[in-house]
Amino acid sequence: MIGLRKTVAGRIALTAVATVILLFLALPIVVVLVTSFSDNAFAAFPPDTWTLNWYKVLFADGSKWPAALSLSALIAALSTVFSLIIGVTAATALTRSELPLRSAVYALVLGPLVIPNIVTALGLFLLFEPATMLGSPLAIALGHTVLASPIAVLILIATLRGIDERLEDAAASMGAGRLTIARRITFPLAAPGMIAAAIFSFITSLDEFYISQFLSSVDTVTLPVQVYNSLTFEIDPSVTAVSAILIAFAILALALVALVRWLGSGRQDSLLSVETVTATAAPGGEAA
Amino acid sequence: MAALTAAPARPRKLLASRKTRVGILYALPVVVYLLVLFVYPIISTLFLSLKNADGSLTLHWYVDALTGVNLSVLITTLRISAETALLSLVFGFILANAISRLRPLWAGLAMLIVVVPHFISALVRTYGWIILLGDKGLVNETLAWAPGAPYHLLYNELGVVIGTTSMMLPYTVLLLYGVMRGVDRGLLAAAASMGAGRVTIFRRVYLPLVAPGLASAGLLSFILSLGYYITPALMGGPNQTMIATLINQQVTKENQWNGAAAQGVLLLLLTLAGLLLVKLISSLGASAKKRSAS
Repeated sequence: MIGLRKTVAGRIALTAVATVILLFLALPIVVVLVTSFSDNAFAAFPPDTWTLNWYKVLFADGSKWPAALSLSALIAALSTVFSLIIGVTAATALTRSELPLRSAVYALVLGPLVIPNIVTALGLFLLFEPATMLGSPLAIALGHTVLASPIAVLILIATLRGIDERLEDAAASMGAGRLTIARRITFPLAAPGMIAAAIFSFITSLDEFYISQFLSSVDTVTLPVQVYNSLTFEIDPSVTAVSAILIAFAILALALVALVRWLGSGRQDSLLSVETVTATAAPGGEAA
Repeated sequence: MAALTAAPARPRKLLASRKTRVGILYALPVVVYLLVLFVYPIISTLFLSLKNADGSLTLHWYVDALTGVNLSVLITTLRISAETALLSLVFGFILANAISRLRPLWAGLAMLIVVVPHFISALVRTYGWIILLGDKGLVNETLAWAPGAPYHLLYNELGVVIGTTSMMLPYTVLLLYGVMRGVDRGLLAAAASMGAGRVTIFRRVYLPLVAPGLASAGLLSFILSLGYYITPALMGGPNQTMIATLINQQVTKENQWNGAAAQGVLLLLLTLAGLLLVKLISSLGASAKKRSAS
């Protein structure tokens, strides 16, 4: 809407260029999905023949993928738990209390998101190496939490800000204790945000590469590190199937977040609508 | 019940201090966690980069990091990041502009295509590019009729820049889309009503309005590219070694921690300088907006 008199040719040109740029974003993903079902995993893009072979190879005897997958799942689960604990407490502190040095705490939380991951990974390496914790899944999970917890905190801050504090105040005025309010009001309303925070923490850890690579040992190779090794050192066509699974997982997780958000969106409104009804009804009642 | 009757009698100050105590208690986990696992490691990296083998202070790791091969890696890093920032800015501008003119439904779908890739592992997307750009990949197959085909699109700078640009593009599109949606259409219409042509409106009204957003988006993708490792390592050749690759090599292959620490600190300083600039630009932009509004 730069010029208000749009020319048809200009519009078509812009649409074409924009479509090419969208393809630029989508094609690398589509091509991995398609190639994972192709007979020839490395050449010839529209595949000649289709196969499920690479998925079968993945779980065949002697494959290193199941171990990498379960290790990554374990680490992601651990760091999801850590991130949620940190996220819920930090978001409560930042939205529901009077916190001295609030902006300093906020800056600290944003830190891991803006500082290059390789610097964070190097620091964690220097921390865990003297403690002989290299290769420990716990160390990798603790490291991933440094990156995942700020995301959880930000999501939960947005969630708690979205909850009308009048609901909590109303419950308190009716004699509900702090625990009851948290359990009966805040938690049910925050649940969609908590699920979203958990999902994003899990994915962050599952896809994390830098920290995993610095902290891994020969025995503890996470999925992304294994994918990286397969792409650099050993030509292993089953990496296409693993990549396709990672894509499917990410899309599924995003869909789940959207679904939970959508299901949860009506809740507060239904609670508040009672309040609006009584509020609009009250003046009429007084007049009568 | 006793607490309830006692509550009004208590001074407000006490209530506030209770809220403060609760706040500090709840803030403790995140603060302690990040101080131990994020701030302390970075400080020890800083110390390591300043320490000699015998423990005395030195700057020679920085001299090392800024001379010879290491200097050329640093320059390569800056060059590739600049190319990436420029390209993702241009592509991001075109795409965000096109999306901001679409009907809500189509705009939503287009933004989905922009945002979803961002949540898919960069490793996997890089692999997709390797399949696409190979000598027998889709791109070369489609361009088979062109003179000079197949083109060498992989293991050189072109490959790296294509890859990193696609990684940074979601950031620039999201930032610019937000800025463009915030542009007051009335200003453009006003300029048009006073007889300004399309080019004039674009240059004199639209561009100044989105300029701060353009600058921050470009700087942000520059900063984010600086520490990038996966795509340059997988899609580049020996001439595209970036600083993150070097840090990784020094730690995992050469046990040269001090050198790696010095390069890490340099990368950190470059990032912080860039962030400071982003902040400066956005505050300048805000004051310019205030001025134009008044």
